[in-house]
Order: sequence, then C-alpha cells, then structure tokens
Amino acid sequence: MIKVRDIVALLDAEVLSGEGKLDEEVKSVGASDMISDILALTKPGMVVLTGYTYPQVIRTALVTDLLGLIVVRGKTIAPETIAYARENNFLLMRTRGYLYSSCGKIYGMGLRGSDAGKE
Amino acid sequence: MPEKNRLARYAAIFEDIRAGDIMSSNVVEISAEKKIAHAKELMKIKKISGIPVVDDGRRLVGIISIEDIIHALEFNKINDPIRRIMSTRVVTIHRDDSLAAVVDKFENYKFGRFPVVDDDNRVCGIISKEDILHGILEKFNLIYIHDLKRTSTLNTEYSAITGERLKTEEANFHYQIDTSDIDAAGTGAALLKQFLAGKSFHNDIVRRVGVATYEAETNVVIHSRGQGDIYFFQDEDRFIVRVVDNGVGIEDLDKAMKEGYSTAPDHIRERGFGAGMGIANMKRFADKLVIISEKGVGTQVEMIFYLPTQTWPLI
Repeated sequence: MIKVRDIVALLDAEVLSGEGKLDEEVKSVGASDMISDILALTKPGMVVLTGYTYPQVIRTALVTDLLGLIVVRGKTIAPETIAYARENNFLLMRTRGYLYSSCGKIYGMGLRGSDAGKE
Repeated sequence: MPEKNRLARYAAIFEDIRAGDIMSSNVVEISAEKKIAHAKELMKIKKISGIPVVDDGRRLVGIISIEDIIHALEFNKINDPIRRIMSTRVVTIHRDDSLAAVVDKFENYKFGRFPVVDDDNRVCGIISKEDILHGILEKFNLIYIHDLKRTSTLNTEYSAITGERLKTEEANFHYQIDTSDIDAAGTGAALLKQFLAGKSFHNDIVRRVGVATYEAETNVVIHSRGQGDIYFFQDEDRFIVRVVDNGVGIEDLDKAMKEGYSTAPDHIRERGFGAGMGIANMKRFADKLVIISEKGVGTQVEMIFYLPTQTWPLI
C-alpha cells in the first residue's frame, strides 16, 4: 500500500494543506493542466499532478472527489488557492520536480493512472 | 427531399433502437396469488395505475388495473386473490421489438404503458410514452431549436425531457451564476455538491451531478455573455439539473458537441478552460442530456441523473 506520505518523501514535496491525510492510501494518479480533463478523466481518491495554480483547481478537485493535488515545478501558488484548500481541509502539495519527472518517479513506485489496463 | 425518402431516412436513424433499450427496467410486479388489497396498496405507494401480474416463475399471466380494484371494492372482493379479477389478455412488447413496433402498439391500443417481456415471457421492463421520447432524445442527445416559434420551450416551467412541471420557485436548490468572474466559475456546482453531500445519497451520483453541473455552469460564464441560473429538482427516483442563461446561444451545436472543439478565447484557455470537453463531459456524467439553444435568446441545459434503482421485492 502506498500512502500520501510515501509520495511526499519521494518528490521531496511540501504539504500546504490537508496534513491530516498523509496516511491515506493513494490508489491512482493522474496529471493535467486542463480543468475539463481533470473533470472527465480522474477517479475519486486520485492524486493529480498539475501546473495549474488558480483557486479554480481546488474547486475542481473538490467536485471530482480527488484525494489531493501536487503542484509541480515549485510554482508560486496564489494565497487564495491555499486558503481555499485549507478551508476545505483539502490535501495540497508542491514539489520542485517537473511534471514529467515527477510522474515518472511515481509510476516507478507502481502506481497507475485511470487508464490502467488500457495503456 | 420527397416525403417518402425522408421518412425512410428517419426510420433508418431509429432502426437499431430496441424496446429493451428504452424500457424502464425497475418494474413493479405482483404475484397472482396475492390479495387484491395488496395490489391496491402497491399502486398507492408507487403511484401507478396498473401492475403486471406474474406466476411463481415470474412469468406474466395478467395485468391488474385501478378499474379492477374499484370493481373489487364495489363487490366486496378486495381480499380475493388477484388471479380472480385480473385481465388475462395482456398486450405485451418483446424486448427485441423495434421502435416502430412499439409505436404501433401505442397507436393500436389505448393503453398508457405496456409490459416488456423476454423469450420466457418474464417481465423485464415497462414502456410508457415518456420512455419512447427518452429513447429518441437519447439517440439525438439534444435538440437544437432555431425556430422562433419554438421560443416558448426555452425557460418554460416544463421539463424538456419528461414534460413534467418544474417550478423554479420550488427548486430544491438554486444558484444565480456570477458571469462576471471567471474565477468564480464552478461555485454553484460546488455548492450544489455540498448540498447533496449533506444528505445520504450515493457518492457516485453526487459526484456526477457536481461534474456535469460544473461544466454547464462554466459554459455559461465563458460563453453566454448573459445571466444564468442553476436549478436542481429532486424527485423520488431522479435528480433534474437545469442550467439556463439568456445569452448569445450556441452558434454551431454540431461542432460544440465534438470533443476538443472550443471557441474559448486565449485568456480563458490560460485558466485551464476551453479543452472542448464541456458538452462531452455533461454527456458522460448525466444519464440524459438535452440542450436547447437559440441564437440571441439563450441556452437551456437539462440533465437527468437516475438514483440507483432499488429492486422492488416480489410481494
């Protein structure tokens, strides 16, 4: 079983909100910068890597029941985005790693995407 | 196009629709050995006017209607077994019957609904006129109305899908969409989801309502250049979400339906919108979707989400 904590360690990520979820199990992972793709292609309980930092991304994640978001490339995140995540106790993380490398590392841990079995 | 060719073309569009595709499958049935009083109670609870009657092997043997119940009450037979008064000459539809055959049944017999049976004469569903309309709408997925004479269908109290009355002031949830702020897009959907999460509905349907409403709401903010509202109606077995605006309408619906097509400007795309998945996502997450749009008048999106069906026990 892979926990949020394991991914945080692997990507040397900082946890900006939702610290209470570090021991929850991560079942699948995705990556996207498009709101509609997140809406269409994710599954409940997923962790999604993104370069998108507007508050909108938190709202999208809440509507789709994501477990958490990881913002890549150490991007600056608007204070409103972090505040919105905290208000909803939503798991928001940030890593310096780039999208491709971060995904590769997580894939290497054995986690798969929502197209598992079809790729 | 000559009339005959046109009809043939329409017939071809619906050729592959079978009764089994459009029937409602959560059908209520009752054993012939039960008392008429049972049937009466069941009709009352389920608000229906007739029930297919089955034998021990769940094969269809008759039908009991409200008229039969009234008759039984009148002659003090309410505690008799159903088989004594049910009508045994039941007109049925086979699950593999074509849509044309189904329509013929409605024309030839004046019944409001017909039981659908399989090869062993077991009841597997029921078809009402509403189901036929659903089947056709499903095939097209939406209606696009240019005709000014039909403006009355936009923003009326009547559901575009089921024809039932939906009074906006009686909506279980209402949100007025803030179309001036792209950052606020999706707020209504998030609030609606929160509203539903507080009740004990299945997570899956709450999520589907959230996602599809989010897309509809975002479209109003990005494209309508007008005012918009989200209305949510809760019914016994389904949710209806209606998102309406009085904006510019959809220019080319065929294109808007295509995944990946978008008319969103660059500053909207920078915000992660405009993937061209909006309508595709609504279709993916709603059970039924109808979009009525007219240039310069507005757009109305109506979506139905069916609550997970409970199988009614054989009483």
